[in-house]
Amino acid sequence: MAMRIPMHRFAYTKLTRDQIGTRLKAVEGTGPKSASAFSNVLGGKSLKIVTRDGPTLEYRFAANRKLTLTEGGRQSTAGYGELTLNDIVFFSHLIPGEQKGYNIYVDQKTNLATVFEVWLSSGIRQGRAPNEYTLDDREVQRQIYFGYVDTGKPAPAKLHDYTNRMTGKGIHWKQDNGIETVELYESIANTYFVELTRHADDLGFVSTSDYVLADDRTIIYNRTECEFSGIHTTFVCDLYGVKQAGARFGFNEKDELEYYLFRGDGNVVGQIAYLENFDDHGVRPMFAPAAPAPVASAAKGARYSYRPVRTFTHMTDEEMQKAADARTAAFGVPVGTSNGPAAPAPAAAPGGAPLPPQSTGNNLPFSDILVGRNFTLRYDHGGPVRDYRVKSKTRLEYRDHRDNKWRETEYRAYEGDDNLAWFAHILEDTSPRACTMVALDLTNGLVTSIESHMGTPWYGNETTYRPVFGVCEMEGLAAPMYVRHELTDELVGHCFSWSYSDQTTSMHVYGSPHSMSWVIFTGAQQMGAAWCSPCIFVKLRPGVYIFCQNEEACNGNQMTELLNTKASHDCGFTFNGSARGCNLGVTGAIGRHIGHFDINRFYGPMRRA
Amino acid sequence: MTTPNSRRSFIRKLGAGASAAVAAVASGKPVSAMADPAQRAAMLEEELKLRSLHQRFEQALDKGLHDEVIGMFADDARVVFNGGIFIGREHGVSRLYRDRFAAGKTGGRMEAAPGFELGADQQRDRVEVSPDCKTAQAEFPYSIQVGVPFETESSLAAMARLHGEGVRTWWEGGLYRLNYRRDAAGNWQISRLEYDTLSRADWRTGKRYAQPIEVVRFTAGYPQDVHGPDALA
Repeated sequence: MAMRIPMHRFAYTKLTRDQIGTRLKAVEGTGPKSASAFSNVLGGKSLKIVTRDGPTLEYRFAANRKLTLTEGGRQSTAGYGELTLNDIVFFSHLIPGEQKGYNIYVDQKTNLATVFEVWLSSGIRQGRAPNEYTLDDREVQRQIYFGYVDTGKPAPAKLHDYTNRMTGKGIHWKQDNGIETVELYESIANTYFVELTRHADDLGFVSTSDYVLADDRTIIYNRTECEFSGIHTTFVCDLYGVKQAGARFGFNEKDELEYYLFRGDGNVVGQIAYLENFDDHGVRPMFAPAAPAPVASAAKGARYSYRPVRTFTHMTDEEMQKAADARTAAFGVPVGTSNGPAAPAPAAAPGGAPLPPQSTGNNLPFSDILVGRNFTLRYDHGGPVRDYRVKSKTRLEYRDHRDNKWRETEYRAYEGDDNLAWFAHILEDTSPRACTMVALDLTNGLVTSIESHMGTPWYGNETTYRPVFGVCEMEGLAAPMYVRHELTDELVGHCFSWSYSDQTTSMHVYGSPHSMSWVIFTGAQQMGAAWCSPCIFVKLRPGVYIFCQNEEACNGNQMTELLNTKASHDCGFTFNGSARGCNLGVTGAIGRHIGHFDINRFYGPMRRA
Repeated sequence: MTTPNSRRSFIRKLGAGASAAVAAVASGKPVSAMADPAQRAAMLEEELKLRSLHQRFEQALDKGLHDEVIGMFADDARVVFNGGIFIGREHGVSRLYRDRFAAGKTGGRMEAAPGFELGADQQRDRVEVSPDCKTAQAEFPYSIQVGVPFETESSLAAMARLHGEGVRTWWEGGLYRLNYRRDAAGNWQISRLEYDTLSRADWRTGKRYAQPIEVVRFTAGYPQDVHGPDALA
């Protein structure tokens, strides 16, 4: 049965080292399974694989899928599985009792080899005090070594190496065991993947990855679901035939050990631009950054992995409400008085920091499009009804029909498209603290509100949002009876970089109708760190959308943007809470369309009919 | 148009070749005018040592070897940077270089932002050694990257930190104003360093144009600002 657990909310069992060892024991002697027939080019042969900066592995392969490995003077016997793809022979085995194994790719034509050492129960500690933590034992670790088969000839000068050739490519894969996945190789260090046969909601997940160039048509790949299940997937991919052969190793969400080889057929679904210099071939992996980083490049198994929930402070609903009562601010102005306190001067930047503050550097200017207007917003299906009197560019009065009380509050508005107002304000005296972000089309009277409040079933300091659709009642405006804004999947597959300032750019990959990923760029404009969240899209007009996400199990922040794809600009609002209170802010960015993946056809209820 | 490279190269050549002739003693008398040839030779020798020390200082800063930089200062040294005074090698000076400079990727050499090169009247490169060769003063031009970590708690900043970034950087040019003195072992140490910033621009290598920026001077000291100065200038 497909998973239907919200993103990053699965409470994985903390399998112990002993539990893991017991499960591994069952397959150490037999080796992996495979739905496709194993190949047998290694049976009866011996291989000595020499790696640069790594082990020398001496193998003897028997005829019955058993091998003997001599490594550092120690000998072990294990079961193995083997598959070939063109000139590459791939084999995988465990080492009994050690909770480790090898996934090895050997190019029979060049004798070059890429070796993945994989292991569990690593005991690796990450983070910095006071937020230090130990990685879960079930998370598969990997270390990659490049080497060659020792044939007695001089060692080759050039080995396999890391690459950016897969960066920006998307492939839809169907494996021989029925697993179907959309994989978007959105960064040099990550994959954004939607396992269509695994998750009921087609949610996309980001996992840490490595990409190795074997030759111009052949890529060796892996990903580990570090903050999902900990499972490891590796394969060699022939980009001419779009075929794969590889292995899956680790524990799934049911705590079952998956250890099998697979073949698959794929279709390239797109290639977005990658923006590094043309002479940058990605040979420097991202787990070895130029500057000091928490993950030392020298540490075995080092890799980039964003683990935000590990350091996200948990607050209860009561704690969050107490903080919000103490301080709720909208656009830097404290909320809570109805007479409109004067806006304080922006907080001075700390000494040594440049002026002006850069967080909203590329936002659209605020608009006076609503000033002087009186109107009623009536949302469907028993949704809220609110009357408005807009006094100035920053202050308005509203009356919610639920308590029929006029309140004055701070607001900000943009003109996100011609005659299209996009504004937001706090809903005062609310518990949990709430806000509304409203797209009001002054041409046709349609209106959409993203109704948000603090709190999810998991954290008091995360936000929850929902779209409500309706109409505006205003003199001179005749809103339709039936036509409404609506949820859309038109943006699915599109990728935009959004530059919030000259220092902060993030690429959004709208990977499925209900989830997205964001990727930041390294100093060399390489697509680097990535993460993901659920989201929704609302169509307001052709080329104009609302995009709303909450960084769930991350930092709980909500960002809601009006995307104008005609102007390649977005503008919008942020809503978040912490021990310091509740805050409604602004955000906006200059966009660039980076490309498109043709993936929308894989999603939607009709596909499941 | 003079390229930044040729301009900087010219400054260095001017400093190395001409300074001996124009270097002046504290009394104002040029070294070349001093009667005692032995004293003249001794002072010129010390000047070369100080130039070598400054070269090592810049190289260490460029490579982020902050402990090596700190080791060049006297126990009671003071550094004036952006309106703050950092006092004492083991305290303020260490805080400035080991904490603030390291976190902000500050100090690495950068070519001057285009259009922001120092003018001819700003190109100081001089060393003045006292007649007793126990103290000295110097001025050298600098052209460096300065930065501060993003203050935001956003996920974008957290992710950037994971790949060694998350720092807002810019270019600064100006003059190092230095005082030196010898320690008990006779080695030169920096007793006072002032970053006399003449120009700042929002520029990084590879960008095609630059714009001037302003930076907030320190308004709070340590420990209120954990990376801040011991006193305000």
